[in-house]
Amino acid sequence: MPLLKIDDKEIQVKSGATVLETAEENGIEIPHYCYHPALETVGSCRMCLVQVEGMPKLQVSCNTFVGDVHPDRKVDGKYDMVVHTQTDLVVQERKNILEFLLLNHPLDCPVCDQAGECYLQDYSFKFGNAHSRFMENKRVRSNEYLGSQIVINHNRCILCSRCVRFTQEISGTSELYVEARGYNSKVAALEEKPLDNLLAGNVADICPVGALLSTDYIHKNRIWNLKKQPSVCQDCSVGCNIDVFSQKNQIFRLSPRENHDVNGYFMCDIGRYGFHRFEEIERVTKPMIRKGDSFVSIEWEKAILDTAKALKSAKAEVSGVTSPFHTNETNFMLGLMVDGIIGNLSQINDEEITYPSGFRISNDRSPNRNGMNDVCPVNVEDFISEIDKQNIRTIYILDDGVDRDFDEVWKSILSKMDFVIVQTYRMTMLAQSANIILPGLAPFEREGTITNDRGRVQWLRPSLPINGESRADWEILMMVMKTMDKKAQVFTDLSQVIMEMCEKIPAYKDVSFFKLGEKGLSLNGATPE
Amino acid sequence: MNSSVKSKQRFTFADPERVEQIFSQYPDKKSATLPLLHLAQSQEGYISSGVIDTIADLVDCHPAIVMDCVSFYTMLYTKPQGRHIIQVCQTLSCSLNGADSLVDHVSDKYKIEPGETTADGQFTLMKVECLGSCGTAPVVQINKEYHEGLSTENFDKLLESFE
Amino acid sequence: MNTFKPVLTEHINQKDCHTLQFYKSVGGYIGLEKVLKMNPENVTQEVKDSNLRGRGGAGFSTGVKWGFIPKDSSKPKYLINNADESEPGTFKDRLLMNKAPHQMLEGMIIAAYAIGCHTSFIYIRGEFYKEYKILEKTIAEAYENNILGQNILGSNYNLDVVIHRGAGAYICGEETGLIESLEGKRGWPRIKPPFPAIEGYLQSPTIVNNVETLSCIPHIINRGSNWFKSIGPEKGPGPRLFCISGCVNNPGVYEEPMGIPLKDLIYEKAGGIPDGKQLKAVFPGGSSSAILTADEAFDVKMDYEDLVEKKSMLGSAGVIVMDETVDMVQACLNIARFYAHESCGQCTPCREGTAWLVKMLTRIVNGNGTPNDIDMLLDITDNIGGLIDFSQGSFGKTICPFGEAVSWPVRSFVEKFKDEFLEYVPKEKVFA
Repeated sequence: MPLLKIDDKEIQVKSGATVLETAEENGIEIPHYCYHPALETVGSCRMCLVQVEGMPKLQVSCNTFVGDVHPDRKVDGKYDMVVHTQTDLVVQERKNILEFLLLNHPLDCPVCDQAGECYLQDYSFKFGNAHSRFMENKRVRSNEYLGSQIVINHNRCILCSRCVRFTQEISGTSELYVEARGYNSKVAALEEKPLDNLLAGNVADICPVGALLSTDYIHKNRIWNLKKQPSVCQDCSVGCNIDVFSQKNQIFRLSPRENHDVNGYFMCDIGRYGFHRFEEIERVTKPMIRKGDSFVSIEWEKAILDTAKALKSAKAEVSGVTSPFHTNETNFMLGLMVDGIIGNLSQINDEEITYPSGFRISNDRSPNRNGMNDVCPVNVEDFISEIDKQNIRTIYILDDGVDRDFDEVWKSILSKMDFVIVQTYRMTMLAQSANIILPGLAPFEREGTITNDRGRVQWLRPSLPINGESRADWEILMMVMKTMDKKAQVFTDLSQVIMEMCEKIPAYKDVSFFKLGEKGLSLNGATPE
Repeated sequence: MNSSVKSKQRFTFADPERVEQIFSQYPDKKSATLPLLHLAQSQEGYISSGVIDTIADLVDCHPAIVMDCVSFYTMLYTKPQGRHIIQVCQTLSCSLNGADSLVDHVSDKYKIEPGETTADGQFTLMKVECLGSCGTAPVVQINKEYHEGLSTENFDKLLESFE
Repeated sequence: MNTFKPVLTEHINQKDCHTLQFYKSVGGYIGLEKVLKMNPENVTQEVKDSNLRGRGGAGFSTGVKWGFIPKDSSKPKYLINNADESEPGTFKDRLLMNKAPHQMLEGMIIAAYAIGCHTSFIYIRGEFYKEYKILEKTIAEAYENNILGQNILGSNYNLDVVIHRGAGAYICGEETGLIESLEGKRGWPRIKPPFPAIEGYLQSPTIVNNVETLSCIPHIINRGSNWFKSIGPEKGPGPRLFCISGCVNNPGVYEEPMGIPLKDLIYEKAGGIPDGKQLKAVFPGGSSSAILTADEAFDVKMDYEDLVEKKSMLGSAGVIVMDETVDMVQACLNIARFYAHESCGQCTPCREGTAWLVKMLTRIVNGNGTPNDIDMLLDITDNIGGLIDFSQGSFGKTICPFGEAVSWPVRSFVEKFKDEFLEYVPKEKVFA
């Protein structure tokens, strides 16, 4: 393995690695714009220039490959390559490149969304000049919509071409191109083919400056006001890793988080903007009981008591409905609580979309079907006929939260029930047919583990505080169980539930928040008994 | 993004055999882009959006990629031009030999500035960079032909021959 | 001085000199016949031995370049004839295509044979329409006479030649820009590595050679590398087509041995400067080279080494003569504007820097210059393309040599004619 020396750090690298990649992996900062690990290298921004011993010109570190050299040509007898990133020449060159980039760049920081997370700001501060020598007129253009979600501010664009390469290589949709040449170059999209594919939001992420902006987020907040919470997207079974940016009770945006076992560097727009769905819905935040055709809110104690009474009296003639929208712990608890048969609501399917880069949107638009099946599998062939056969009259449903009309099958199930308990966070059609409504958490308030469709268990973390009198879904189930049976186990927190789950579900024996960490844990295709 | 209200221009190559012949010369489809653009422009006078769509179909790529290519080159026009395109070289050798006065001559005679077309659509005036014939400066290209070593006088005669 | 018997342009004044019949009558394609019986590697060796250096502007050893083609690659090899002559001051390839196209073609076929290529392209600039039509006929004649196509001249070598027209972009004369353009894209040069000889057109090994370079090949084969080496300096020998234009009485292409003194070219061959005016400055190698003052010009020989010593370059041998009436600032602006227009826009220093130079120079020409501008201009040119001093390690700022191509001439104008620039600065701005 070749030995690379960058400044005073010695690093063994894989043959063929670039200097920039190696620097990134080893915590050495080499400023760059056009390079992105998911995209083809173009070496056009010239920001990553470094000095390499033995080469007369400055080299772009994104395209300088380290390989084994003949022992006679090793530097100091041992290094295959020696790179300097702090010499006067390199320092001056960075200043020069930044100066060129700032020539036409407007002094927009006070009004630019990117402020605080802008590479031009950061590098200017670290590596640039404190003043400008430019006395001429700047090139000025007006903003344009490249698509319904993306607006471009041409004056801020540094033409790194990341966005253009993204639409060509990752989404394969090629909406973006560079128009004209030289000084007049600009990023554009054809009028009849705007940037409206499902990965479009990513271009605003990968834009290193405030040129490409998400119309969803534009002018709404500042990055330094926002709290960043790593979590997992819940809009399909791929389980893309995300960061949720919120302030107090409001989510402002989602960004993809890097995970090469799941989503690479990107996420789709369905998940990216999906959080808005929960902003306008009618929330259920107090326990409710049916009175005639409407509901009245009741105290938790009464709600739990009534629920427990109903379940206890039904004994084994009770059914539970797990949900692929709920966490493993919640589904697991339902499995503990319900002695009878377990079923599911009908699956919500949509298009399966795969992109040339391999990025995928699953046709299963629920986040945890695999997990649900692992920890609390459906235990009957035909849920509907079993209900009839076993004369089941009590049903406890974990609501998906998706407001949908019921098909005839479900209408008939519900009409046969004496007692329907729906645990939900919104007043869905299903909730309307309940006897008792127990208020659980909305997706961004939940915590737990979910398992994606490739068998990876990931840590879902809450980004919003609990609303009203709602409680964590697993906790509600535990309270019911405890009320039904004084000897039932009490779990004081989620990790205890997980520990129990580990014991009871062999495939999940290694699962813990500690082990899941930021990237999750693969079950390696292990199936539960 | 609202879809364009104007009807989409369509374009078909008048000489499909020539198109076939072009494709047969290259190991891949995309390389045929430039020759097809030249062919289309010689037919239509400029590269319309219909041309871009047709060529994108033929070479199997997205229209934006074709547009990317078209917008890079000075000889490919995305708007209709005059019947005769007067291109005066303005680079050093020609400039040293009176090219600027040739430009002024056209401006005075036809009342158009560089980049503009006469009202009757007869002439478009363009200032271009080195045409590769510095030895016979000043050089003007009108449509496809070079006219070299022009004095204002014989340039004037030349222009009139196009009227 | 002795009159040099032209090699490449020996027959250009004869009637029908561009036809196959004529070319054959003066010994055309005998070299090709000889080559088809040779081992391709020996062909490359012969060209290497001749020390032929590229005539497009870069001056890289042609034989060495051919040798870069990997022998063990199963990918198709491509030879591309770079006929995208766009360097200001250069017009020799046009002459060769007009008057001696078969000579060029023979060179192409020999080159293609040497590197194992079976499909070859001529990338001709779009504006050369007449030359394109001539080449069409030339290629057709060749096919009809078994000089192209299958089993060339009875051998088992096949070669197809395709003429590909450019569409108006100077940067498509840069080899990777050319390859991108040939592939149907915008002519944005590629970063190296990978080098075109390993991964060029369609990711296959590709050699790009200039028209004049290829035109030399048949003569090297026919008369031997030693003969070629004997013309001019051994390190960069051969007959060379020098273009001379600007303020001279007889502008045109003059074929002379490498190493001819520049003053002979200007005063003897090109008849000196009209109206007895004095020489002020001259571009020795196309507009991408640094200008030489009259004093420097009087001293220099037109060969690679001597010009590098004078901190300029031979480049495309496009000599542009500027006499005492030429305003250096305006000339500088003219050249800067050319480069700003032709910049492909891909990399930061060139895209922003060339436009900045034009804006500054325009401001100076319009009478709004400041004394500071001189140093700023010098600094900006350095930041785009670096100094002519390899030991400084200050090249490589741009993806392709365009950065150097704009900074060397502009810098030389400012450095050598500072006074003229200062004259544009309004007196009130010149502080004591």
